[in-house]
Amino acid sequence: MDLDELNRLAVRAAEALKVDDAVALSARTADSMVRFADNSATVANRVDEAELTVYLAKAGRRAIASTSNLSQAAVEGFVKDLHASMKGLPQGEYAPLPDGAAKYSQSGRFDRKVADAEEKLPELAKAAIDSSLAAGGKRSAGAISAWKATVAILTTSGTRGSDSRTAITLNIRSFGEGDASGHGLSCSSTLRGFDPVEAGRRAGEGAKRMRQAAEPDAGKYEVLLSPAVASNLTETVAGAASAFSVDAGTSYLAGKLGKKVAAPPFDLTDHGVVDGGLGGRAFDDEGSPTRATKIIEGGVLRGYLHNLTTAKKWKAETTGSAGLIAPHPWNLEVGAGDSSYEEMVKEMKKGIVLTSNWYTRFNNYRTGEFSTVPRDGAYLVEDGEIVRSLKGLRAGDDQLRLFSSVRLLSKEREWVQWWEVDTPTLCPWILVDGVSITRAYD
Amino acid sequence: METQEARDLAEAAVSKALKAGASYAEARVQATWEREFGLKNGEPQPSIFVEGYGIGIRVIAGGALGFAATNAMQRASVGEVAVKAVKLAKASRSMLRRPVVFDSAKPARTNWAAPETKKIENADSAWLRRVLVDIDGRVADGRAGVKLPGRLFYLSAELQERYFVNSDGARVAGRVPRVSFGGSLTAVEAGSAAQRFVQQGETGGLEVVKRIGLVERVVEEAKAMGKVLKASAKPPTETIDVVLSPELSGIAAHESVGHPQEADRVLGREGAQAGESYLTADSLGRKIGSHEANVSDDPTLLHSNGYVPVDDEGVAAKKRLLIKGGVINEFLQNRATAGKFGVNSNGSARAVSFDREPIIRMANTFVEPGDYTTDEIFKEVKHGVYFKSFTEWNIDDKRLNQRYVALEAYLIDRGELKGLVRSPVLEITTPKLWGSVKARSRHVEFEAATCGKGDPMQGAPVWTGGPETLLTGIRLGAR
Repeated sequence: MDLDELNRLAVRAAEALKVDDAVALSARTADSMVRFADNSATVANRVDEAELTVYLAKAGRRAIASTSNLSQAAVEGFVKDLHASMKGLPQGEYAPLPDGAAKYSQSGRFDRKVADAEEKLPELAKAAIDSSLAAGGKRSAGAISAWKATVAILTTSGTRGSDSRTAITLNIRSFGEGDASGHGLSCSSTLRGFDPVEAGRRAGEGAKRMRQAAEPDAGKYEVLLSPAVASNLTETVAGAASAFSVDAGTSYLAGKLGKKVAAPPFDLTDHGVVDGGLGGRAFDDEGSPTRATKIIEGGVLRGYLHNLTTAKKWKAETTGSAGLIAPHPWNLEVGAGDSSYEEMVKEMKKGIVLTSNWYTRFNNYRTGEFSTVPRDGAYLVEDGEIVRSLKGLRAGDDQLRLFSSVRLLSKEREWVQWWEVDTPTLCPWILVDGVSITRAYD
Repeated sequence: METQEARDLAEAAVSKALKAGASYAEARVQATWEREFGLKNGEPQPSIFVEGYGIGIRVIAGGALGFAATNAMQRASVGEVAVKAVKLAKASRSMLRRPVVFDSAKPARTNWAAPETKKIENADSAWLRRVLVDIDGRVADGRAGVKLPGRLFYLSAELQERYFVNSDGARVAGRVPRVSFGGSLTAVEAGSAAQRFVQQGETGGLEVVKRIGLVERVVEEAKAMGKVLKASAKPPTETIDVVLSPELSGIAAHESVGHPQEADRVLGREGAQAGESYLTADSLGRKIGSHEANVSDDPTLLHSNGYVPVDDEGVAAKKRLLIKGGVINEFLQNRATAGKFGVNSNGSARAVSFDREPIIRMANTFVEPGDYTTDEIFKEVKHGVYFKSFTEWNIDDKRLNQRYVALEAYLIDRGELKGLVRSPVLEITTPKLWGSVKARSRHVEFEAATCGKGDPMQGAPVWTGGPETLLTGIRLGAR
């Protein structure tokens, strides 16, 4: 059954049950991945899946379901069961689907070469590993993934659409002597924009460069965040900008609309569809057209991310960010600055360069207090010069203070999506003042 | 799940893969059924249904590992996917330097089911909602003694059924019902805010809610928030003793013992994602802690959140003694890592759904109980801090440098709990932590958690736990 047929089946079944609203969202995805460690393949994966998600609303009650059992009988029974699940429940937060059919422009982010790249993945991974070896890495681990997806939507208000996209990503980490390691990423929606050799080179160079690393003294430092690190932290800001998070008490941006939440150079925009973006689509899960949404502009919080339900509550318009339960970002963009990486390092008196991080965890999402663990290349900077490699450190801050202390952003930006960054993010290097650095007690 | 259909498809998949040139093949048909309901500040959220059904096929061909999965459950489609798995494996030989060799673990032939009294399939939105409304009604509007303007609760009932077959002769059918609660509580008073994420759950049917005292536990958590907001004392700066609660003992056991002793991490397979380990393949027998440091992982605990008596490679699971008397005693092994170590798998391979390969996972990781009563543990302390619960935590990717920030914590003065301490921070290396263990209580508790690992990511249900654990000679930080 093709996706449109699947949607028609689900919506017809819902209409027969006299629901107020129904949305059928079906998706077909194919994900090919080759993983490697110690310069050798560890597993080659391929997952082909089709899934149907159905949203029903009736008399102020809502239900959402997804199934991968897609026979006609199963889908009809599934919609009936979902409808029955709403009986006896009280009314909850609800906003109707808008009258009339929404229209979309095609996103045009489908690259046939990525869709057909499965057989090339071992060769591309090998190119990255060889590049790392040539640059000084001893052994590399990572994953290369080519992904294609088609999503189709049909609603009871007549909205109908389909969107296809591709993405190819490489995450490579290379190890050198002792504790030395480096990290490289390449993320693109097209094969032409994908550069495994450069990612491998960066990982290998990082592994070679990080020698005789030592723990830093605890204290406050200027910190230069790589696009990978900055994307990880920026994604938490976008999460806090979801109106659902604000309502649930898990956002430091509560009560901050129209107020300063970052330094003036910091702009953050979410795009449903954007050139080069790996994520997103032309419509959201409620059928609203997606768009560019300014979250932070000139350091000021311009708005939250909304779906129809949160928009009604906040007396705002949907931003095309549904998530049937919670609004979420699609593709984030941090505005570019006018510095080069080298100029930013020169600007630092006593600072640390962080190239990668993981395990960002919050003490309190309401206050925005968190810490994160740097990994791979971290470097101490004194009077504008890198003087030593670092290890065993941790960075802690709160989101409001950190983004209010942004001093410089780089001209150059990179797309980032990997194990620690779910939402594709176009991000520059970011220089921040006064970040707390700690180390473990031994 | 239609058992006969699952068996037929799995058997056909293995047969097809072998004919296509695999030297080893396995197939796992897995069905997921889930019902979930949420309340946000008392407001009902949409009912949620999830139903998944598909097959994952893993093979060794030419020494390389291939995995392919689909939810197109027609015999012809499944056959194509089996052949695809073999092709993928063969294609990756161009970058294969070390062939995969499985151990010779005895293949299991069994049907197993986690015990349940009240069938999980009887969970509906109305039942799920009633439980949450009960909780919310006891903590909203200051009823737990503190204002909680942010309350987000979810309750789910889930059933995982699987049928596994491999070319070594394993035939395993498994059924795991599970009830899980997740919630966040945000307390605000006089401009100060505190936040707690609560996760509870275990395997079983609808009886789980009462068996674990879910409603009462969440109410207790809410009451604790009021205390936390009043904490103002800074943690001591001098060297002191620290008592870790079962909750803190459990997270430390999970993060700094369980993870670094996963053999796939030790061998570097997760290097670019969850990281490697401070331990190496020759670390077995290495002294890492005091004689009192004893940490285990046991997938056979009845009712536990990580109950897995037979793993997803068809190997009977057993208790693993990870650190015994302060010595690294055992790694968590699957069949591939066991093949490299020259041992047999201890049944640690799990896959969270049909579309994920089985990888090494913890099940229920805990500090073993000691022989002190809880009171005796505190009496041992002249001057110290009791970490009762935590919020922020993290650890480096070698599992050597970890941090736990307490939410509810108390000063201990000559064996007695005194006033609250505000956000003490234990930021410590793994050898220092486990080398500081002086005593353990007999009293053990467990917490539900979801452990993230793999690429693509797999969130596996686990328990973490232990007794009150006394650490000596510790310096704390402050947030």
